[in-house]
Amino acid sequence: MLVELTVNGESRSANVPPETTLLKMLREHLGLTGAKLGCDVGDCGTCTVIVDGVSVNSCLMLAGRADGCDVTTIEGLATADDLHPLQQKFEEHGALQCGFCGPGMLISAKNLLDNNPDPSVFEVRDALAGNLCRCTGYTKIIEAVIEAGEMMSQEPANV
Amino acid sequence: MRPMDYIVPESAEAAVAILAERGENACPLAGGTDLVVDLKHAPGNINALVDVSGLDEFRGIDVTDEGLRIGSMATYGEIMEHPVCLEKTPEVVAASHTVGAVQTRNLGTIGGNLVTCVPSADSAPALMVLDAEVTLIGTNGWRRMPIEDFFVGPRKTILEPYELLAEIWIPKHTLGKPSSFYKFGLRKGQALALVNAAAALELDGDRIVEPRIALGAVAPTPIRAVKAEALLDGQDVDAKLLDEAAQIAVTESKPIDDFRASKNYRRQLIRTLTRRVLERSVEIARKRQEQDKLH
Repeated sequence: MLVELTVNGESRSANVPPETTLLKMLREHLGLTGAKLGCDVGDCGTCTVIVDGVSVNSCLMLAGRADGCDVTTIEGLATADDLHPLQQKFEEHGALQCGFCGPGMLISAKNLLDNNPDPSVFEVRDALAGNLCRCTGYTKIIEAVIEAGEMMSQEPANV
Repeated sequence: MRPMDYIVPESAEAAVAILAERGENACPLAGGTDLVVDLKHAPGNINALVDVSGLDEFRGIDVTDEGLRIGSMATYGEIMEHPVCLEKTPEVVAASHTVGAVQTRNLGTIGGNLVTCVPSADSAPALMVLDAEVTLIGTNGWRRMPIEDFFVGPRKTILEPYELLAEIWIPKHTLGKPSSFYKFGLRKGQALALVNAAAALELDGDRIVEPRIALGAVAPTPIRAVKAEALLDGQDVDAKLLDEAAQIAVTESKPIDDFRASKNYRRQLIRTLTRRVLERSVEIARKRQEQDKLH
């Protein structure tokens, strides 16, 4: 089936078998390998992408479901000149160790800050509950998200 | 995997007709959080997906003269943000919030969760204490029933072949009824309930009116603790009475031993959680009485 969607602002399309997940379409048909294949059953969150404003596990969403939708992946965060404030703060805080959970963590955090620029620690933990970091770097990740929120509120022009 | 068809029907009736025509190898697709996992790891003979998630008859959350209608294809994320749900059924929202995590709640639908029919489904007790009803559409048309009757056993509902869960209705008279939900899992996120419990009741002075208690993960299906409810009905609130009701709720449950918890641990949880949701419901009802006095 033909699936047409907007990925990080660009129109993209691919012909995929109906049982293809959005993750597989992004990685294997569109060459966007930022979203990672982790558990493949919706537990780990490293495949997280934003579809029409809400974050989802792209390993659980069939590509056909995303037809006509607006998708944001980790590749859509940085510009040619600058890292996204979240990426800057993750770097500053050493919030990633092995980094495998990073794309999902950053996308979940972006979705949180898009809707709630000044989250409490509880709200950050709740928003990241579906993203597992097996290096257990949660504390630094949470600190980075809080600071990125502050940075984005102060410099809205940069976002 | 064999070639698969992906069908988007135009209406609920058309979906039923397509499922009936294609036979048992066609499968309705809702949020996909369970089905897509099955497709990858145990696809069986599924050769067609009938995507019912966008059907108007199954979508939307709205209030009518009858009460609150939640389309079966409403996601938990949508329920959690809906102003009427937040105001009139806050404990359904609270129960929704305990399901999975953000990403699964944005995909998973309340109807899909109820049809999967695991004993620990978090929304079930919160809906049951509000006397929720469900509507179904199948080859013989529509039918409606109390949500308790929908659950038949672990992963088994009353749905006939090719029949679909269309709506969940919360009747007008229970919208805003003082209620409480509590889930006990081993973590806050991505955890199944060891036990979950909900209660709802009204107070007439000190007298308990229309008490409801529902429990999950304590029997083959979510259950109402009707004997405990009967004990409370018409009695004056009293801490000892609430604990007695909680003890009766334990006797109405049939918890199992599994890798998450032992039967005995679950029994203790049932008593504690039942008492807590009753106490909390009383507290909310009392606050309501105070507010009413002021107005």
